[in-house]
Amino acid sequence: MEESRGCLDPAHRRRQVALALLLAVVGGGGCRARPPIVCYPPLLPPAQPSPQGFHFVDVAAERGLTRAILSGRPDKDHVLDSAGAGIAFLDYDSDGRLDVYVVNGWRLDGARVTERGRNALYHQRADHTFEDVTDAAGVGGEGEWGAGVTAADFDNDGATDILVTNFGRNVLYRNLGHGRFENVAARAGVEAPGWNAAASFFDADGDGWLDLYLARYIDCTLDDVLKAERTLPWRGLEKVAFGPFGLKGAPDYFFRNDHGRFVEATNEAGMKDLALGFGFAVRAADFDDDGDTDVYVANDSDPNYLYRNDGGGRFTEVGVMSLCALDGNGAAQASMGIATGDADGDGITDLYVSNFSEDNKTLYKGLGGGFFSDVSRETGVGPLVYRALSWGAALADFDNDADLDLVIANGHIYPQIDRHPEIIGTYRQQASLLENRGAGALGPGETLFRDATGSAGPGFAAPRSHRGLAVGDFDDDGRLDILMSVLDGPPVLLQNRSAAGSWLTVVPAIPGGPAVPVGTRVTVKAAGKVQRRDVAAGDSYASTHDPRLHFGLGSAETVDEVVVDWPDRTRTVRTDVAARQRLVVRKAPQ
Amino acid sequence: MTTWKTAAVAGLTLLLAGSGLAQSRSAATPPEMVATYDALADAILGGIKAERKLVLAILATTYGHAQAEAGRARAALKAGDAAAAKTAIENLATAVGQIATEGDNAVAGVRKRLLEGGHHANSEGEAQGTFDEGFVIVNKVAKKAFLESSQALAMSAKAPKAETLDAEWKKVEAAWTQHIAGAK
Repeated sequence: MEESRGCLDPAHRRRQVALALLLAVVGGGGCRARPPIVCYPPLLPPAQPSPQGFHFVDVAAERGLTRAILSGRPDKDHVLDSAGAGIAFLDYDSDGRLDVYVVNGWRLDGARVTERGRNALYHQRADHTFEDVTDAAGVGGEGEWGAGVTAADFDNDGATDILVTNFGRNVLYRNLGHGRFENVAARAGVEAPGWNAAASFFDADGDGWLDLYLARYIDCTLDDVLKAERTLPWRGLEKVAFGPFGLKGAPDYFFRNDHGRFVEATNEAGMKDLALGFGFAVRAADFDDDGDTDVYVANDSDPNYLYRNDGGGRFTEVGVMSLCALDGNGAAQASMGIATGDADGDGITDLYVSNFSEDNKTLYKGLGGGFFSDVSRETGVGPLVYRALSWGAALADFDNDADLDLVIANGHIYPQIDRHPEIIGTYRQQASLLENRGAGALGPGETLFRDATGSAGPGFAAPRSHRGLAVGDFDDDGRLDILMSVLDGPPVLLQNRSAAGSWLTVVPAIPGGPAVPVGTRVTVKAAGKVQRRDVAAGDSYASTHDPRLHFGLGSAETVDEVVVDWPDRTRTVRTDVAARQRLVVRKAPQ
Repeated sequence: MTTWKTAAVAGLTLLLAGSGLAQSRSAATPPEMVATYDALADAILGGIKAERKLVLAILATTYGHAQAEAGRARAALKAGDAAAAKTAIENLATAVGQIATEGDNAVAGVRKRLLEGGHHANSEGEAQGTFDEGFVIVNKVAKKAFLESSQALAMSAKAPKAETLDAEWKKVEAAWTQHIAGAK
């Protein structure tokens, strides 16, 4: 029965239980601007449709993103070896161009640490190439084994800071300006030694300061990692890394931000991790649309959590009764990543959760009020990516047709499966691109999503062991690009050269306030469609997306209305805004 | 069986193994060892029964809590106290959800420990696909029924109505009667 434990894959476990019983039986074993709107002219010519559909090209190397991400041992003897790390788009120097932060791990040789990888900060030049400014900025990671990255302005000084979650002590890089950072994690109280998988900054109590949720994975030591041996039988053919079953979950933490210093307040906030779920991803958003921020946590092999904000930063865990803790059959899944957005265009936020291989990836349709229904099967999301092992993800409009497509970073955790590719495929896997057909345009028998991976260009053709994923328009051409981290290799930057419609990017800004106005929501009305996005810090798998909010507009060249709902519940409305521009909306002084 | 009892039995066994008894020339297992093993078997099997009884007790307590909250909700609706009704119905929804999951997150933590230790209370049901891993009493069909009722109740809490409450509570009662009430 050893095989029924110690495996990330519940379906695998179920099969092994059945096998064990069987063996027992048989005896075998352009804008009309007015203040406070600022319109940037397009930095490149407007998005020009490519001749055919989606088209993505990996430009990471040619643009200068070359830092290889170290990931333990080649055979992935411990689950840490295969967990990988997150990645982020951010604008640390407020020059209006997206920069990139890459989190790194360590390289091991057996029980020996042979190299401690350095994280990398890449500054984007005006020509859309990147320069490595890690050393000058002082953000190399402090020698820790990195897991995730969350970029936000935790001290409200107008500059974007960087939180690196680690297997070890977290690092909080405070932005000093002029391209320099200092690690203030100890002083700020967020080192939290252990396996900190992912984090989300959000304002839990509406005091204007970003609080912090840390999703933590398993309780293990470096010694456990170094001495790990592959003991878990896989299909009776291979021995693979053991876990997370058989290992103890690490408790998640919540920290209140007291004017730039963090106070651990997990129990007080009602967020005690009673089940010790294997936390892998976290996304804060107003899931019940009541004006405050809730928190969704994806747990590997355990029920996921939905912490409903009851006001004042007090939470109740309601995942089960909201029907987003388990899949539609009531089963816990091995969840790795999260994406949010209004996939079906009904005005309610939906929730996508990436899961282990040979299991549905789950799309929870938002029903309103913070309730959900598993629609994975009928939308195609579940079956289309059934075989892959999925991690980072995003619901984003890659062809600017005014609905949200779904991109998923895939890659298995057991390199040993390459010796039996006929069973469940290979360790390296293609990322998936699912095109949203549009809820109102479905033919008989058609699902909301279709698999567009095969026709999405060379960027999607290459199999890799993807992990972190962030979406952003790095070249400011109005088309969203995709940044992914890869085990034992440099990151991937998929430049979007797709045929694409009209667009608008909204940049909410609070003069004298935080650099990234986390929790701000923007609603855009154009050509009879209403779309909404929110600014978040911490998303996908241990990653952070472009904080600027992108809207695909189809054929619309004018936006009827842009509504910006600020975190303090005030609102700014702009009407008759021209499309194909980056629109900065500044909050009026109160 | 408690850990200390297990440790005591194991310790005794080790003592016996190290004693002169273990060096007997007979090929037969020493009767003291057989007796100790027999006692250990009682404890192991008793532990499995005790687990089942405890989970039934957790479910019965939770169901009792649900009944009480349903009563509070009805009373509040009768009195026109929408806020109290909302609270009671949310509590009811939580309780029904906990029946579906055989306990709250704290219980889930214990269940996880047992699974991590290799203990499957209902491995036959798991193998047949009728039970989720680690579940003792609540099968998948019952789980789904309770989960759906939990969500329906929670959704109704925002605009509570007596007829909605009664209809959903009847479903909960029916699922309880069908799947759990007769369990031993």
